[in-house]
Amino acid sequence: MSTKSFHDQKMIAKPGRRLLHFVPLRFVQRRVQGGGQRPVDAPLNLIPMIDFLVVIAVFLLMSFSTSGEIPVDKSIRLPKAENTLDMLEAPMVAITGSQILVDGTPAGSTRAIEEANRLQRIDELFNILKSKRELWTQVHDAQRPFPGVVVLQVDRDVPALVVKSVFQTAAFAGYPNVSFMVDRLPQSGG
Amino acid sequence: MSSGNGGGRRTVDTEINLIPMIDLLVCIVSFLLITAVWSQMARVNADAQVPGPPDPDKELDPTPPEKMLHVEMRDEEKFTLIWKQGATVVNTIDVPRKAVDVSGSEGVVRFPDLATKIAEEWKLNGSHRDASDKKLDQAVLHTDNRTPFREVIAVIDAIYTPKRELAGANEPVPAFNVTFSVN
Repeated sequence: MSTKSFHDQKMIAKPGRRLLHFVPLRFVQRRVQGGGQRPVDAPLNLIPMIDFLVVIAVFLLMSFSTSGEIPVDKSIRLPKAENTLDMLEAPMVAITGSQILVDGTPAGSTRAIEEANRLQRIDELFNILKSKRELWTQVHDAQRPFPGVVVLQVDRDVPALVVKSVFQTAAFAGYPNVSFMVDRLPQSGG
Repeated sequence: MSSGNGGGRRTVDTEINLIPMIDLLVCIVSFLLITAVWSQMARVNADAQVPGPPDPDKELDPTPPEKMLHVEMRDEEKFTLIWKQGATVVNTIDVPRKAVDVSGSEGVVRFPDLATKIAEEWKLNGSHRDASDKKLDQAVLHTDNRTPFREVIAVIDAIYTPKRELAGANEPVPAFNVTFSVN
């Protein structure tokens, strides 16, 4: 039975901090009452953190590409274009300085073309592309048509004469679908 | 509400365990960041249009040759657009060669006037404009041997500017198919 009078009993208590008031330790009492000090065990707010991680995960999944990174020679400064297509898997012919490479393997020089100053077939490139085509037809089903796609990595300052010679050589070797690798420019909207 | 003492019944207000969820999200983010491809590589197509050997068993098709757009860029002052049907010249248009530098990209040029004119010409003279038509109009690029490759690409980019609808394609496709003239 209560010994307190009716007036001493507070039916409606003043709002305030109630948590851990029962712990009979002075430092706990001081901390739960505030006491002018910041608590050292501040909890980490997980909800914004999860929101942030979900947004990043969604953004990265949206921009995820399975096509992989295409090896580009550092010395080649590619031209830029707006109206482009996505890259595809195909033999890569790179023109670096005066050297021509097919998938990293040397396949001739452009010097002879520049000295002659006329369009000509590059025999070494022709032979390598032809052997690649023959290998493809041996490996794949005979019913499946050869795609005849080749991608040219050409520096933006290379003269058109060299580009046309490589283009023509690729066509002669059985690769009529030639693509030029470019850096993608954002669409201007015009 | 939780019954508190259990009493043989499962509680209905179970909490999601956040730690494995955060671990999973961190793993996904790390994987995607490591495997992300940041380079913006793309390609522009150029068809060599190599005809196969004629089939002796087939009769020759008597249909007249299609109109083609020839883009001449040999002159340093202007482009010349020539519509040809076989060897017959149908129409010739000159476009001033005004190169516009792309801001923020050193050594990158565009030819917006050429792109606009080619789009207008295709609307007037293009043979394959219907969405159900699977064929594309053909453009042939004639360039000087000394022209730097960046200008060749800028002209090809201008030719690819006009787009058309194509049945079965999810997005508009270029109105022209581009090929090089090697002479």
